[in-house]
Amino acid sequence: MERKEILTALNGIFSVVLNKENLQLDESMSTDDIDNWDSLTNMTIISEIERLWGVHFKLRDIIRMKNIGDMIDTILAKSQQ
Amino acid sequence: MEFLSIPFVVMMFITFVLYYATDRRRYQHALLLMASCVFIGYYHWIYLLVAAAITVFTFLIGKRIHATVNTPRATRWLWLGIGGLVGFWLIARYWSPLFPLGISFYTFQAISYLIEIYWEEDPEDDFIDFSLYMLLFMKFLSGPIERAENLLPQLKKAHVFDYEQIVGGLKTVAWGCFLKLVIADRIGPALDIVLDNVHGATGMQLLVATLLYPIQLYADFAGYTCMALGLGRMLGFKLQPNFDRPFTATSTGELWRRWHMSLSFWVRDYIFMPLSASLRSWKRWGVYASLLITFVAIGVWHGAGWTFAVYGLFQGLVIIGETVLGNRREKLYAHLGRHAGKTLMIVRTYLLFALSLLFFRLTSVGDVFYTYAHLFDGMQTSAKELRLGLSDQEWIVVGIAAVLMFVLEWLHSRYRLGERSSRLSAPLRWTIYVVIVGVIFWYGAFGVENFIYIQF
Repeated sequence: MERKEILTALNGIFSVVLNKENLQLDESMSTDDIDNWDSLTNMTIISEIERLWGVHFKLRDIIRMKNIGDMIDTILAKSQQ
Repeated sequence: MEFLSIPFVVMMFITFVLYYATDRRRYQHALLLMASCVFIGYYHWIYLLVAAAITVFTFLIGKRIHATVNTPRATRWLWLGIGGLVGFWLIARYWSPLFPLGISFYTFQAISYLIEIYWEEDPEDDFIDFSLYMLLFMKFLSGPIERAENLLPQLKKAHVFDYEQIVGGLKTVAWGCFLKLVIADRIGPALDIVLDNVHGATGMQLLVATLLYPIQLYADFAGYTCMALGLGRMLGFKLQPNFDRPFTATSTGELWRRWHMSLSFWVRDYIFMPLSASLRSWKRWGVYASLLITFVAIGVWHGAGWTFAVYGLFQGLVIIGETVLGNRREKLYAHLGRHAGKTLMIVRTYLLFALSLLFFRLTSVGDVFYTYAHLFDGMQTSAKELRLGLSDQEWIVVGIAAVLMFVLEWLHSRYRLGERSSRLSAPLRWTIYVVIVGVIFWYGAFGVENFIYIQF
């Protein structure tokens, strides 16, 4: 699975959960850069990611995801387990 | 020992002089620890004993968690640590004749330290440094609730005399004194007369007190925090900020990211996140349930009684409402224009917060509902009743000071006033300093009670 592929899929999840049509994610983006991505919406995003890739994150995985790049790293690591 | 007292000024002066007499880290830390013990023990030796015992307990449990990390034993050590800390806090809070000052704040620090080690961060090896993380005097009484990752690295080097930092720290302390003495303590006694006996107040008095109480509470707590941050900066430490212009928030959710931030972020990371992660299969209902539990926890942290629980519940329900109705905000902005829409939301957020704070301030839920029911009684009240016992001059002082507070905080957020003032010519700069100190001494209300948050 390519990073770019994951980024595109994440873009779709974020757009739906945050209700933003023209969202363009990049790996450096964090909660500071994306309106409405906060602790309330984050868990919905996480559960959508888990559903799409069939993975399960531990709490410490979730806490360590500080930006989109971290999210992609974690998805890749979990998918290969 | 209170910040606004002669013994504290003397202690701080001696500590400051001796601290910069050398640049040896060990010497500085021993001195700071001694000063912190004097500061705590000056209130009551029991407070020092309790704080020291909790420090040793947390240090040892942290070591055990680290030694067994990623095994079931680490989980058992973590729960033993958290159970011990929370259990002791509950006993001290509700069943002890003496409530050790600052215990709520350093217990939170201890819990976050243990959880971070459980999450595979390294524990602190140096007991003196760890003791300072727990007991450092300027943040001991009411925070900010420091994280190990912020404070412990600052303890790994000696601090050398830095004129800019020290002057910057003094300015922050002066700003804290202005907020506390000229606004909070000037207006506080008048609001107390109304809020201590809501049944004896008129509708207009209740309305004025309800609307002004958030400003008193903010000036009091932000005043304390500025003093703590400024004193820390004078000794070379950068402590966590606690406020970020909360009354500019356009939603209650945003307000809680700007109000008592060190507590808000603590409960977000160590209560809300674990809860919402474990309930994420419930989708948005898991988030809502976690929100309610988290805010009720914030409420009851402030004290026993239904008022505090309802205070937390109020915040949680409003934030859930905002989340559900999130899309309507954009429609409102589109309809009214962005500036007018935002202004409306700022006013709405302030009013909701003011109403919720009655649960925080009054002693019974019944009194809060009585106040709600009578807020608009007898609108044709005389000016004398509206003064709440303050003179016209005092109202003018408080009014100007409160406007100045909002304007200067806005200017500072945009133009970094503290740094800019350093670039002014020396005569102008010193004139401003003298005027600020003069205003504090001339218009400050000295001899009023201690900080509101010291009771928590």
